[in-house]
Amino acid sequence: MSNDLINVSIWRGGEDGEYQTYQVPRLESQTVLDVVTYIQRELDPSLSYRFACRVGVCGSCAMTVNGKARWTCRTHVSKVAEGGQLTLDPLNSMPRVKDLVVDMETFFNKWADAKGSFKGDKTRDDALAYISPDDPKRKISSAGIECIGCGACYATCDVIKWNPDYLGPAALNRAWTLVNDERDVTGLERLAAVAGDNGCLGCHSQQGCVERCPKSLNPTGAIAGLKRETIKAVLKGELS
Amino acid sequence: MNLEFEQSKTDVLILGAGGAGLFAALHASNLGPDLDITIAVKGLLGKCGCTRMVQGGYNAAMANEDSIERHFMDTIEGGKWLNNQDLAWTLVNEAPRRIRELENELGCFFDRNPDGSLHQKAFAGQTFDRTVHKGDLTGIEIINRLAEQVWSRGINRLEDHRAVEFIKSKDGSGLAGVLMIDMRTGKFRLVQAKAVLLATGGGPTMYTYHTPSGDKSCDGMAMSLRAGMPLRDMEMVQFHPTGLVAGPGTRITGTIIEEGLRGYGGYLLGGDKERFMHKYDAKVERATRDIVSRGMFSEMRNGNVGPNGGLFITMKHLDPKEVRSRFKGMVDRCRDCGFDLVSGDVEVVPTAHYMMGGVEFQNDCSTELPGLYAAGEDTGGVHGANRLGGNGVANSTVFGGIAGDAIAKWVPKEGVFREPDLDAAKAAIAAALYPFQIEGGHMPDIRKKLYGAMWEDAGILRDAKSLARARVAVDELHSELMRTGVADESRAYNLSWHDWLNLESQIIISKVVIEAAVVRKDSRGAHFREDFPEIHDLENSRFTKASLDNGKITITSEHVEFTRVRPGETLIDD
Repeated sequence: MSNDLINVSIWRGGEDGEYQTYQVPRLESQTVLDVVTYIQRELDPSLSYRFACRVGVCGSCAMTVNGKARWTCRTHVSKVAEGGQLTLDPLNSMPRVKDLVVDMETFFNKWADAKGSFKGDKTRDDALAYISPDDPKRKISSAGIECIGCGACYATCDVIKWNPDYLGPAALNRAWTLVNDERDVTGLERLAAVAGDNGCLGCHSQQGCVERCPKSLNPTGAIAGLKRETIKAVLKGELS
Repeated sequence: MNLEFEQSKTDVLILGAGGAGLFAALHASNLGPDLDITIAVKGLLGKCGCTRMVQGGYNAAMANEDSIERHFMDTIEGGKWLNNQDLAWTLVNEAPRRIRELENELGCFFDRNPDGSLHQKAFAGQTFDRTVHKGDLTGIEIINRLAEQVWSRGINRLEDHRAVEFIKSKDGSGLAGVLMIDMRTGKFRLVQAKAVLLATGGGPTMYTYHTPSGDKSCDGMAMSLRAGMPLRDMEMVQFHPTGLVAGPGTRITGTIIEEGLRGYGGYLLGGDKERFMHKYDAKVERATRDIVSRGMFSEMRNGNVGPNGGLFITMKHLDPKEVRSRFKGMVDRCRDCGFDLVSGDVEVVPTAHYMMGGVEFQNDCSTELPGLYAAGEDTGGVHGANRLGGNGVANSTVFGGIAGDAIAKWVPKEGVFREPDLDAAKAAIAAALYPFQIEGGHMPDIRKKLYGAMWEDAGILRDAKSLARARVAVDELHSELMRTGVADESRAYNLSWHDWLNLESQIIISKVVIEAAVVRKDSRGAHFREDFPEIHDLENSRFTKASLDNGKITITSEHVEFTRVRPGETLIDD
């Protein structure tokens, strides 16, 4: 294998399929997304993948790269191509559409199931809340807020592989940021939604999500927080 | 040729899922809880479009010392008096309410001062620090909060759906629906709707260096043009001064690192590592986007460039701790690309960023085609000749919300399912299947040549000769595209087919940009004619209108109506 070529094996097909191999010229500043783009444009126009922003903001382009879930637009080939080899698969734990493209609908629906949306008691005609950026709860909320929904954590999570109904790290992380948002009034309704084995109690603290989050968020820590809050609510008799 | 298609119905069809589309869906569902609302998006909901990519922030006159009038005057002065003043007035009036809605009802949390009050930062071209933001990645916060509200409300979504053509009623009196491609299967679907919102975003992605999301290819504008709607101000393409450049082989090239870096004191350096902006403007690096971009383009033309043909931005003379904390998103992004923004020089180029022009629309977002509404970057008139940084996300969210309200009120009173012109649908399918009938050609070459022609000859600096060259080049590329095919294997998620359709839209809209630029014989805002370098007769400002006439683009112009303020006047009291 020449140093200026990368050997790329890509999953072709849906649930059933096979790997196809391509040789791609090695370029400076080349990301994994650039590699699949090159293949589709120059070697095999039938290759399917999904991307949008190309700069680490939208979370559309995550794939399994040499066995690990990664955002491909910000992953340099030089950091991941062990021995000049790249093996690309679609994300795990999501239905496959074609080649590297998955259907993320369930992932989004679980975000809603975890009550991962804000409900306040003020309107567009009220002033904004005064909240110090150093307020302890706000700091907890801010620490987890910049999730881009790429699904890398979800695809890595072992619990989802055993229990497909598990809400998963991203949805639970969002729930935790809301639990700590003092403007939100959902309260116990959210804790009820994230309690139980499909929720925070399902987490085994393997920390795969923490390791794989491209934004360096800590979903395991968020889920531990949810566990504490739900247990407190149970002890107070507010949750059964 | 198999011209089959599936059909479905929804009360309200929204094309696009950026700030405009998502806001419209939420407002329509608030006012019309019984409406069946569907959002169609070319990729995944919450992940496409450019609102998500917003870095700097959102202009809104929230502070006591600021005023709506001041924001308005900044917008009009910035737009070089070409704006539709009533639209601009609506923008600045609604923006503070939209910020409060984003915070109080949707859950955004924008940056605060230490005392807990809202932080607003300075942005170029504005007389007050009014830009609301969340760090340097404001768009993630806005779109995440909007998308999760949509997910939780049972609004239908057609993801991986590409809009191909507006299908009118048989008698042509109104819009009946939209022909789409379900990208996952490659099948066609005619979605009938009582009202449709065009909110696909514009996106000047036909230039070598460009910022927008990859899903944006001017489809909405091209569809509008074919449906007989005029596009205004299309010569006005904004270039942002600091796009990353890392070579032609990477998609990261062209993406922005944010304006605030220059605002905070960053220097621009030539290939010789010397500052140069003093040659072009007294405000040096802090001059407005258009001036800095022109200065940079001139340096590049003179060959004072770095290894990738760009220039450099550096922050290394500033406090590294501050740079790291204020611009965390940008520092991380540069690091991932192999650049050190804190203590090194990062190679940058001006990059095509935003189209001020687009579909003409009214204050309630209605258009001249009954049943069709429009909002966001697909529209023209709000920004005039130049958009202020921070007015883009304000535009999409303000008018998206207005469109949702207007549609929810209009549909119960006047909305009907019009009988679609099925022959028109079949003709559109045949046109979309055209590339499968052709063999040969190489699409990446066409794309590269289009980029080059627009960048060199219809970009930051233009004159009659360069525009004439661009016209010939783009016409030839259109012919070349028509000789270039796509292998008819699986149509499911066939990116090469969609690349072809993207190129077709981009080529049509490139032609419009060129023709509008030919007609405007003065320099204002984003449009700079080297053969007419002065701004001409502000009092009698006219805006261009492009339309499609038997396959030919014609440009007319109309007087700007100064409905609120005339050149030389101001609405500011003090």
